[in-house]
Amino acid sequence: MTTEGLRFPNGTTVVIAVFLIALPCILPSLTLASEILVLATGALSCTLLLGSVGLLSFGQGLYFGLGAYVSAILIRDFEMSALAATIAASLAGCLLAAAAGLLIVRRQGVYFVMLTLAFAQMGFFLALAFPRLTGGENGFGNVPRTAIAFGQFALSNPLLLYVFLAILSFAAFALVQRIVASPFGSVLNSIRYNESRSEALGYDARRFKLAAVTMAGGIAALAGAMNTLMLNFVPLSAIDVETSERLLIASLIGGVGSPLGALIGASVLSAMSDFLSPIWPRWSMVVALLLIVTVLFLRDGLLGLGGVLRRQGKEMPNG
Amino acid sequence: MRNRREILAAAAVGIATPSLLRRAWAQQDAIEIGSLVSLSGTFANIGEQVDIGSKIAIDHYKTAAGRPLRYVQLDDQGDPGRAVRLTQDAIRDRGIRFFMNCTNSAIALAVAKEVASSGGVYINQAGADEMTGTLCNKNTFRWPVATYSAVNTTVRPFMKQFPDAKKWYTITGQYVFGDSLLKNLKDVLGELGGQHVGNSYHSLSDREYSGFITAAIAAQPDVLCICNFGSQTTDVLRQAVSFGMKRNTKIVVVWSTGLDQFQSLGPDICEGVYFGANYWHGVDAPGNRLLTGVIKDKLKVTPSYLLTAGWACTQATVEALNKAGSAEVPAVIKAFETLSYEGPTGLEKVRAEDHQVLKDYYLLLGKPKAKMLDKDDYVDVISAQKAFLPPDKTGCKL
Repeated sequence: MTTEGLRFPNGTTVVIAVFLIALPCILPSLTLASEILVLATGALSCTLLLGSVGLLSFGQGLYFGLGAYVSAILIRDFEMSALAATIAASLAGCLLAAAAGLLIVRRQGVYFVMLTLAFAQMGFFLALAFPRLTGGENGFGNVPRTAIAFGQFALSNPLLLYVFLAILSFAAFALVQRIVASPFGSVLNSIRYNESRSEALGYDARRFKLAAVTMAGGIAALAGAMNTLMLNFVPLSAIDVETSERLLIASLIGGVGSPLGALIGASVLSAMSDFLSPIWPRWSMVVALLLIVTVLFLRDGLLGLGGVLRRQGKEMPNG
Repeated sequence: MRNRREILAAAAVGIATPSLLRRAWAQQDAIEIGSLVSLSGTFANIGEQVDIGSKIAIDHYKTAAGRPLRYVQLDDQGDPGRAVRLTQDAIRDRGIRFFMNCTNSAIALAVAKEVASSGGVYINQAGADEMTGTLCNKNTFRWPVATYSAVNTTVRPFMKQFPDAKKWYTITGQYVFGDSLLKNLKDVLGELGGQHVGNSYHSLSDREYSGFITAAIAAQPDVLCICNFGSQTTDVLRQAVSFGMKRNTKIVVVWSTGLDQFQSLGPDICEGVYFGANYWHGVDAPGNRLLTGVIKDKLKVTPSYLLTAGWACTQATVEALNKAGSAEVPAVIKAFETLSYEGPTGLEKVRAEDHQVLKDYYLLLGKPKAKMLDKDDYVDVISAQKAFLPPDKTGCKL
């Protein structure tokens, strides 16, 4: 993600807002649109880490799962409103990410990746080991459709649920845009380009990376809480490694150069799973192929497709 | 002369008409039944078989309550979240009220809640006791037996046959289903004077069990009891046999999927092993004769448990619709609660108190290859029994 020439709000903010408004009109189902929002918000946490600081995390599913469980427990057992539970879940995600981050950011490159993966695996097995708290492999059920806040605006209305999820998602996107456009974002970007040189300039790279990991954890947890609101249920799969992979794949396919990439990647991935699976049960091969093509030829993801085509057009001989 | 707008409008109507008619016909005439099956993802091998079984049943019965049936396949990709989402869509966008099938308990429990809150009817093959226990609901029914029944109908007849086999060692999947099997087994052993000499837990992701098996051998039990499900059962059994445990220990697999598992293990491994199963194709019952006849006619194969599970849920739904004489949900639930029909395991009844289908569970004994009458004749049926927790002890409050 580059900060050059970035302001907040900018054109991308408007595009994201329009996209969120248009999504339920374009798609045949409101629930599919809601699923895209959840996945896009989760993928945004990967985009923030990879695009801003160059940190590849295979463990965002841990925070996603934590957010899902925390919000579900607060809504079901403590009768909290959706808004309060969502905020609490995001804070829980931040806290866990900060705690894990203290260890993770000590390492770089492949060791960083392996540590994120190890934490994600640990989270999955903890969820499995405490079935009384999480429901184990049966999942955490009986989460009621609560109201947004103060007993008002019950989320049993699917359109209202979508609107609420869209607002939360937009808030996350706006936050990431704001971060990227801030001086803090510039430092993150400089760490991504050259960590040693940034430290030589006096920036404590570890602290900046820790802050980014913490914020990304909070965003992933927010996505988990949104998932709970959508499903009224937390499947064990919310915290498994496959969820981490899915978030990362969505962000890579869309492109980590802009928050918009997470939205595009999530839309493509969810729509493919919805439309292709009835036609061909082995549809995941298409996703794998798309990922290969993206990594090999579209380093900026689908978001950079226009640029690649334009460059190719210019390189073609006249006539 | 008609202007361009009129022509475009007429064309639009022309294009839209078939879909409008389809929708209108779907809503007014046919009864649509949503089938939650995992056709992609981790559980695709299960989902495909259940899907085929249900499709064949729909094709066989064709109508219910005097209306044509339509099968609506919902590929949940093995993900409970997606299953819930597809159910919401099917209810909201297509007006579907009848649902069946699942490929794991998490999917069934999640879908059951969704269907109940939308006022539909759902019958599934979940293994989790909670389905007809603490998480039961008025709109959901379950065809296979609970872990209590599986343990009681396998361990009791086994111990009756081998009263000296007192020392039991268990290898258990460390998940809710495995723990339920283990708890019930300990209860039965305690009651019948058996001794539980040790247990090894394995996780949901384990594929290699040699450490657990050597621990079992070291405990010198009379019986090795395997309390897990699916491919993990197959792997544990295969490795236990390759470690020579069959020579001086009896092996009991409390929960097996029957024929498909035996085919994957082969007769040499199955020989002498005791299996618990929800279904066996060799059982002589009118409902099973019908099922095996139709499956052999259409697919040229012997029905496995998974095919049968798909068939059984469809059959129960059809029987309930016919008994109700309408597709009104309250009437169908009422019909379900007093339903009694010739199913794949003989006479099957639905218990109104917890919505459990009361059916036989089998104790099977793997036979030598030389004694197999045909390629699918892997086992002898040792016992066929019904044993269910009393309704007041299931924890189900409808």
